[in-house]
Amino acid sequence: MNFLDILALLARGAGYTVLVTLACSATGLIVGLAIATLRRLRLPVVLPLLDVYTYVFRGIPVLVLLFIVYFGLPGIGLKVPPLLSMVLSLGLIAGAYLAEVFRGALESVDAAEILAAQASGLGRLQVLALIELPQMLRFAVPGMVNEFTTVLKYSPFAYTVGLPEITKQATTLTATTQRGLEIYLAVGLMYFAVFRILLIAVRWIERRYRVPGMVPA
Amino acid sequence: MSPVPLIQVRELVKDFDGQRVLAGVNLDIMEGGIKVVMGPSGCGKSTLLRCLNRLVEPTSGTIHLRGQLVTGAGVDVRALRQGIGFVFQQFALYRHLTVLDNVSLALRKLRGMRRLEAEQKAMYELARLDMAAHRDKYPGQISGGQKQRVALARALAMDPAVVVMDEPTSALDPLLTREVAQLIQRLHGEKVTLLCVTHDVLLARSITEQVVFLDRGVVRAEGSIEHLSSAHPDALIRDFFGRESGA
Repeated sequence: MNFLDILALLARGAGYTVLVTLACSATGLIVGLAIATLRRLRLPVVLPLLDVYTYVFRGIPVLVLLFIVYFGLPGIGLKVPPLLSMVLSLGLIAGAYLAEVFRGALESVDAAEILAAQASGLGRLQVLALIELPQMLRFAVPGMVNEFTTVLKYSPFAYTVGLPEITKQATTLTATTQRGLEIYLAVGLMYFAVFRILLIAVRWIERRYRVPGMVPA
Repeated sequence: MSPVPLIQVRELVKDFDGQRVLAGVNLDIMEGGIKVVMGPSGCGKSTLLRCLNRLVEPTSGTIHLRGQLVTGAGVDVRALRQGIGFVFQQFALYRHLTVLDNVSLALRKLRGMRRLEAEQKAMYELARLDMAAHRDKYPGQISGGQKQRVALARALAMDPAVVVMDEPTSALDPLLTREVAQLIQRLHGEKVTLLCVTHDVLLARSITEQVVFLDRGVVRAEGSIEHLSSAHPDALIRDFFGRESGA
């Protein structure tokens, strides 16, 4: 078995790695956006709840939360499938971090533009959707790339709840071939390749939506 | 019988954290007229403007627009704002939108126009201000004077009852200030009702003779710059207009 054969076998797990990364990143994006939006609307009852959420979920290790969801919840009769367990742990934690990224990016939207939009008669939600969020998303790109990369790097935890992603394939292969060094080097290469693809995609999106002369206020 | 003012401000008071910024302002703006409110920094000029469209809630007093009370409860504030075109000090163009989208956005989202219709109206306003050629540029790609024109086009696109301008030349050099003055005169010639606040006497002098002097939240004087700078009994007012205009 040569190095290419090892790569080909590991590639079977790459689909799961991408699936976990995409599912958790998408969850993080939705949760982060929802929190940032709700915060911006300054609803008095909701604000403390959002603060508690981001405080708690940023403080819990991914693996601990994953085990609580996957191994703990069945104890009270809630059996959560592996992929959903990843989403409810890694995805929700990513959401808490992205909420902070978005909070910072929203602060970079020029207050005068928000005032001008309100002065034109636009409602609060319209100002948010038409002025604040489109600018905020552009300012948040570097922070989002960081967070998506972190999600990718935490995706091997999926192995602990039985998802056959790259690391799981590598463990099985190592047990049968005793060629751990090559196998885990190949694993590293594969993660790097996924990371590069992610980066290329984000850079393309960034270029596509770049606005000449627009810098954070 | 004298005509009813388009905007009538009576005994307008605004307190911020116990500090009185407007202390009983009275002001009339006639349809098709031009009113310039002047005064030193911090005299309440911008607050007065923001009370007109309820960006700032007045503490007391009344504002009537076309005879309708627009202060107090039960007023459709968003509809009120659509009728008052606002040009901000730093122009406040939406940086992520092109010049054309800056002008057409409110038409689409508030007037319910389809994109084509809104863009035609926006292009009309941009052409009126010699900015049609820049329709696809972003605010970051145009000069301060051009931004000023786009901000004006954005305000005019909604066919407002009045266009209010907050320190329109504070971000511009003297050459552009002259250009803005010409622009304001042109709009005045087209019967656009204008309210402009500024501390720039040269600008005021080049667009109108009659000005209102606001100081410490009240209108202290109203009249021609000539009179205020040389013959007004209050030395502070004479100083303000004399020094600033070089008279």
